Amino acid sequence: MTDLLLLLPEIVLVVMALSLIVVARRVERAQSAAIFTVIAAAAAIFAGWAFSGAGPATGFGATISGDGYAQFFNVLFAANLALAALLSVKHLDAEHVRPAEFYALLLLSSTGMMLAAAATDLLVVYLGLELMTLCSYIMVGITRDRSISNEAAIKYFLLASFASALLLYGISLAYGVTGATDFQAIASAASSRGLAGHPLLLVAVALVAVGLAFKIAAVPFHAWAPDAYQGASAPVAAFLAAGSKAAGLAALGRVGLIAFAPEQRVWAGILVGLAALSIAGGSLLALSQSNMKRLLAYSSIAHAGYALLGLVSGTPDGISATMTYSFVYAFMTLGAFGVVIGLGERGEDLAGFRGLAATAPGTAALMLLFLLSLTGIPPTAGFAAKFGVILNAVRSGHLVLAVLAVVCSVVSAFFYLRVAVYMYMTEPQGVAPGRLPAEVSAALAVAAFLTIMGGMFPETFTAWTVPPS
Amino acid sequence: MTTYPILSVTTFLPLVGAAAIFFLNERLARWIALATTLATLALSVPLYLQFDKASSALQFVEVARWIPSWNVSYGMGVDGISLPFVFLSVLMSVLCVAVSWTAVQTRVRDFYAALLVSETAMVGLFAATNFFLFYLFWELMIVPLFLLIGVWGGPGRTYAAVKFLMFTLAGSVLMLVGLIALLYLGNTLDFQELAGATRLNPTAQAWLFVAFLAAFAVKVPMFPVHTWLPDAHTEAPTAGSVILAGILLKMGAYGFLRISLPILPDAVQLFLTPMLVLSATAIVYGAYVTLAQTDVKRLIAYSSISHMGFVTLGIFTLNRNGVEGAILQMVNHGIVTGALFLCIGMIYERTHTREIADYGGLAKVAPIYSTFLALFCLAAAGFPGLNSFVGEFLIISGGFKARAWLGVMGVWGVALGTTYILWLYYRVVLGEVRPKLRELRLDLNLREVATLVPLALLVLVIGVYPEIVLSFLRASVTQLLGAVSGAGTVGRL
Repeated sequence: MTDLLLLLPEIVLVVMALSLIVVARRVERAQSAAIFTVIAAAAAIFAGWAFSGAGPATGFGATISGDGYAQFFNVLFAANLALAALLSVKHLDAEHVRPAEFYALLLLSSTGMMLAAAATDLLVVYLGLELMTLCSYIMVGITRDRSISNEAAIKYFLLASFASALLLYGISLAYGVTGATDFQAIASAASSRGLAGHPLLLVAVALVAVGLAFKIAAVPFHAWAPDAYQGASAPVAAFLAAGSKAAGLAALGRVGLIAFAPEQRVWAGILVGLAALSIAGGSLLALSQSNMKRLLAYSSIAHAGYALLGLVSGTPDGISATMTYSFVYAFMTLGAFGVVIGLGERGEDLAGFRGLAATAPGTAALMLLFLLSLTGIPPTAGFAAKFGVILNAVRSGHLVLAVLAVVCSVVSAFFYLRVAVYMYMTEPQGVAPGRLPAEVSAALAVAAFLTIMGGMFPETFTAWTVPPS
Repeated sequence: MTTYPILSVTTFLPLVGAAAIFFLNERLARWIALATTLATLALSVPLYLQFDKASSALQFVEVARWIPSWNVSYGMGVDGISLPFVFLSVLMSVLCVAVSWTAVQTRVRDFYAALLVSETAMVGLFAATNFFLFYLFWELMIVPLFLLIGVWGGPGRTYAAVKFLMFTLAGSVLMLVGLIALLYLGNTLDFQELAGATRLNPTAQAWLFVAFLAAFAVKVPMFPVHTWLPDAHTEAPTAGSVILAGILLKMGAYGFLRISLPILPDAVQLFLTPMLVLSATAIVYGAYVTLAQTDVKRLIAYSSISHMGFVTLGIFTLNRNGVEGAILQMVNHGIVTGALFLCIGMIYERTHTREIADYGGLAKVAPIYSTFLALFCLAAAGFPGLNSFVGEFLIISGGFKARAWLGVMGVWGVALGTTYILWLYYRVVLGEVRPKLRELRLDLNLREVATLVPLALLVLVIGVYPEIVLSFLRASVTQLLGAVSGAGTVGRL
């Protein structure tokens, strides 16, 4: 029974989601459902914090872990959930989407992410990620009347199902070779029974890596992201960019450090390739984008690559760097999306940012902060996080990768700061944007606070980044 | 000693002022900015009075725990090399606020906030005692200047701002890799620990030198990565040009002195000849290009390339005269070029033209202005008795000591410098008054005179009594040269 304590945050979210569905017909306005969801997220964080250490170290037949790693990601996913909930309000009302259903999906999707981060068994990882992704398909396509949204949902569904199949195939091969799906068992089977380097196990490693690479949208498995982000409403895109990526990285980190530790060389080789391609590809492809959601999608691809830099060493320090990176990335990208959402229709196009600094100086300053952080210019959290992962790459001997990473961050400066040029150095066009809605302001304030804090005092986050045990 | 953490206060007070400006009424912006910069100047005074000139150690040191996992602490402190630049930064900031008083009319709040953020970056950079903090301020400097150029600049501002940004970012990311590699190899980023630790192997030093060179050379700027400078200086608003010329260019040279020389001495010896050749090229090439300019601001901008060539030349002579002269020349160039940009900005505010051909005979309609301009032009030309003379003299004598042809190049540069600057003065101030200029009220008002007087005094005082700056440098330069000469071959090269 005490095993349930490990899943307390997930249980809180599921209960809240189910109750939202029960009362769905009565929920008319998005605001009330959003507040409900924020409370759920806060309760989940509280539950995870209050009962940390109360339950066993692992539960449910050693498939779920309650370690610091899981708790860290629980906080990330809950915060992501809360911010995404706040950012969605205006949009849902404008598009006449039934709020209760949407928020229930948001809650369930976050539950899936939490499961994936806490899982110590490949099958549970798979279940968690599937729960997350299935809910995401629906959220991407939830504006049924828009053809672009439907198209995005279908594309996302087809590609992600394919990825899930690959992941599952990898899991089955790993089971076939080692007779286990449990991380520890796979590792000990590989090392003690002399199965390390078994060709089928290597295929399994590769397939699992590919399946997870889809989730974090790493090149060359990124094709779904720009279309899905552009077709989805901006809040959903933000939720996916921050959450789905963190969930994938959480799974990659644990799988790599524990289950496939004996195959570290192959695993690291794959990750190095993915990281290099994602950083270069994401940065270069973003150069020609003029749609903000698409721009941020390519940016998220590049950032997946940066986050992977922490995992290439296969050391606990490296995983800590990646944890920090995904945490920081979540907030800066939610912030940037938040400004896009706050500006409404005009925010989706680069041209909508013309002269924003003259008409809405506060909003422009916030956007500048998030852009600087995404570029990795100090004193923002983005810089500290980037410093951490690049330091890890250098420590593990990947100097070329480190140079590539910084060179690409100059390339990325070009497209991020092009937005700044539009905001600050062009004349305003059309009517001035109205005040930001209160929910959006609240979300932006949280994101901005963390982006500055993480830059000034990088140690504040790193203290919580406990590698998986 | 003082009771408050004087360097941190000097560094971060402007940031507080910037925040205040951003959240308060637009009409108060100028006054808050003036009050903040003046207060910062006043609070920094104990630095100069209580500084122990006999010591080469860091003084006014503040250390605090910051990021233990990377072995990085928050460390502030100044020695004789950095102190003059702290002074220059806080002084120039006051003058920048003053000169922009009426010139900047749009988005005043943002303007002064950006100006104050850049002051924090400047002071912090010179006060940082570890590389991480140095890098932080280095990058922090880029953003406000990008905005200053791009928002309040001239007609080609956007292009100039983006060019400035891309050049400096491209340089500084390579420094970031170098910094990370240094942290990995030495497990510390503290300047003193790095300089005192066992030397890195020469190959690693060479790679690191190249990585840092990319950043420093762009900032100085050295030939051939100088091309951003004429655009940025010309298009920037007056305050932006003053900060660029007065402080930003010094950051690169300061980087050589603070990082390349003490930490990578073997690599410095290895790259000595190319560095000297590039410096000499910058002096002569910069001077010739300056001669051909028809735009006043562009002319001064190109002259900076030549003048900064003297600075890097002096640094890489690696002898006392050269290095002391280089540091003095950095200070002098900040004062004189800053003053010239202020002068140009003041007249531009009235005439709205930067073409030399549109001017003439200012002496008759603007006598006070012409007097100030005469002083600063003579100073820029290296007239004996004024500040630049001493610096250039020291550098050239250092150059002759190191290699004779360096001295010759230096003299050649000075001769050309005298030509272009006096020719500029001749075309703008002397001769017949242009009809268009007659109708304008051209002479300076009290605020503008007050802006120029501090710099004019500095020009005269340093010119007559250079010890006032040199005495601060001596001990630190001795230590620096000791550190460099510890490596392999030294002396006459």
